[in-house]
Amino acid sequence: MAILVDRALEDEDEDDTGRSWRGRVSARQRRETAVGWAFMLPDAIGLMIFVVLPIIVALAVAFFSIDGFGQARFVGLDNFVRMGSDPLLVNSLAVTLIYAGCYVPLVFVAGLALALLVQRPFPGIGIVRTLFFLPNVMSLVVIAILWQFMLTDKTGFVPRGLSTVGLGDISWLGNPTYALAAIIMISVWFQAGYQMLLFLGGLGDIPNEYHDAAKLDGAGWWQRLFWITLPLLKPTSFFIAVTSIIGAVTGMQAFDLVFVLTKGGPANSTMTMPFYIYQQAFSYNDYGYAAALTTLLVGVLVLAVGVTFAATKGARFHAE
Amino acid sequence: MPSIETACEVRVSENRILRPGVSRRTLLQGLGLATFALPILGACSTGAPAGGGGGNGKKLSFWNFYGDSGNGEPQSEWFIKLVKDWNANNDVQVDLRYIPNADYMSGTTLQTAFTAGTGPDIFLVSPGDFLRYANGGVLYDLSSAVNDAQIADFSGSVLDTRMVDGKLLGLPMEVEPLALYYSIDAFEKAGLSEGDVPQTWDQLLSVGEKLTTDKQFGLVLETTPGYYQNFTWYPFMWMAGGEVVDPSGKAVFDSRANHSALQLWGDLTAAGVTPRKNQGTGGGDVPGNMGAGYCAMQQSGIWAVAELDQKVPDYNYSVAPLPIPAGGKASTDMGGWAFCANAKGANPEAAAKFVAWAIAGQDADGIERMRQWNSVVKTNVPTRTSVSEAVKSAGTWDSGPLKIFAEEIAPAGRPEPRFPPQVYQPISDALQAVQLGGTDAATAAGTAQAALETFLAGYSGGAII
Repeated sequence: MAILVDRALEDEDEDDTGRSWRGRVSARQRRETAVGWAFMLPDAIGLMIFVVLPIIVALAVAFFSIDGFGQARFVGLDNFVRMGSDPLLVNSLAVTLIYAGCYVPLVFVAGLALALLVQRPFPGIGIVRTLFFLPNVMSLVVIAILWQFMLTDKTGFVPRGLSTVGLGDISWLGNPTYALAAIIMISVWFQAGYQMLLFLGGLGDIPNEYHDAAKLDGAGWWQRLFWITLPLLKPTSFFIAVTSIIGAVTGMQAFDLVFVLTKGGPANSTMTMPFYIYQQAFSYNDYGYAAALTTLLVGVLVLAVGVTFAATKGARFHAE
Repeated sequence: MPSIETACEVRVSENRILRPGVSRRTLLQGLGLATFALPILGACSTGAPAGGGGGNGKKLSFWNFYGDSGNGEPQSEWFIKLVKDWNANNDVQVDLRYIPNADYMSGTTLQTAFTAGTGPDIFLVSPGDFLRYANGGVLYDLSSAVNDAQIADFSGSVLDTRMVDGKLLGLPMEVEPLALYYSIDAFEKAGLSEGDVPQTWDQLLSVGEKLTTDKQFGLVLETTPGYYQNFTWYPFMWMAGGEVVDPSGKAVFDSRANHSALQLWGDLTAAGVTPRKNQGTGGGDVPGNMGAGYCAMQQSGIWAVAELDQKVPDYNYSVAPLPIPAGGKASTDMGGWAFCANAKGANPEAAAKFVAWAIAGQDADGIERMRQWNSVVKTNVPTRTSVSEAVKSAGTWDSGPLKIFAEEIAPAGRPEPRFPPQVYQPISDALQAVQLGGTDAATAAGTAQAALETFLAGYSGGAII
């Protein structure tokens, strides 16, 4: 608005050639550019210090053997070569891919379902939306402890509830068959409310006229979902898919849950890549190998996001 | 959108509000500059949090997982008094920093501080983590801070696991043998008596099954992977005659003895006698498991006597030596933490002096201080003969669980191994695979053996055994 106003004022001073206007705007643009940079600089510096620099350092550290007590030795590609004979790496990669492969679609569907459920106004909608979003405002550590109580073998709320249908003996956090599934379900439960909010924003941007016209043409709820809602939600869906993939691969949700609930067990069944990297660095003091693993993880992440971008033609949904 | 005339009025009006001296643009520029400058100024601050590492030599930081926790518990109070007594008589002051146990043992606080060169001047180290720090060169040789009489006062081999190449790198504050805790009420409820307390592995399984109900497990063993779980399993390995490495440093993990010890834990899980995931803070938490009625028997350390006394004072229980296999011999694992001084701290000599005063002080106050730690605020086997005698004189070991610990359990104990991470990790993987993954014990032991052989072939740190 301020720019529009300024420009409107300047229009009054413009001569026939427009020279005066351009000269004044040029000076103004320089000042505004400077102010713009001043606003962006803190963020840019933060990104440089806390994101770009660590990435560069991590890559460099991957070529060293570092013990965490100030001793470092250049080892070339040894840390990368070691990956080829590390069975736990294969295990943790598989766990991460299974986690991401299940978590991303599940949280997408859950978030969308919740958004569709609370899209139309009804009495108490504010409370319902708040309840759905509530898990997301809590600390993941608190969430983990809460679920630890609920999933306790034999006496937890969930096993006791399931005992009525003969499934009370399942150890959700102590059996390798179920532990990762439990972590995935808790992650979805935690994050679905946030995805719901994003979907609600996307749904709000879809004009009602489309649905009304479709209704007049006799389209049912499912037909309108698949032929109107989902196509017009593509930008939102893309954003959610990309951020979910990043969250799943880097372990934003999974790390805290794994740390509190299972420590990578039972029998390494929840040993995600981020947790394995953490263990190498902080339990085994092998910072060089941890950095090499991080480089691999970033590669996997770039590949996954790249595939997503390629599949959506660079996220251009309205260019066709 | 307003018309141009209206917009002009708005701008004039806004400028009037901001004048004299401050235009909107100036304000924006100022805000931008301030936003840019404040974080930089903040980053340049030299202030350090209280109790942080990397002291200045006049104030020593002491990181631990007891005090000051702010909860007023006896162990926290003991640490507070310890530091208060020292500070009252010394120029170099000690500052406590409490780190919750879970973070201290498997978090990043301690490790990242050492990585950044700001490790604490004084800290606690478990045998299970000892070589990591010893091989990192951050443990100061305490030999010069203690005299021969003080060394001689330490009983048996408690100092051996803190020695590397003739250097004394830690002074143990306690010895913590493991035992089998059992609920007398749970036994009676199941129609069993104290005569049925299992003495063999077969009995452990059969009695455990009898004690298992739809609301209670027969036995709790540690299930969370890590060096603590290994610590609790080693006695079973020793009782069966197994080892991890032989005296020459060769890996001998893939043995029939170790297969049987691994298989026992797998069988107990498969039979539903032990939970796959414990309550509370894990297998070492007796009040949170057995004390809460979650199980009838639990393997844990001597520290649980004080914990039960403080948290569940009326609990009806007793302890017994760990059951042995057919043809095996009694054994237990003697854990316990040690005070260590940071060799790379600002004043390691003063830190060593504090450690020696706190743990090895031979005056009446020093002995009473350790008696309090080992038999009043916490229950342990003291590391020093003089303190043991003081505990005996006070009658603490005359009856009850502590009498059993002192007379039947501790004498068969072995010091907790000080394996480095690359050794305890394959063992942990094998144990987890058999206990919770249902893997064949021989297969799991073979995988661990291969990993151990690879690591030991290139190992060059402090002696593992």
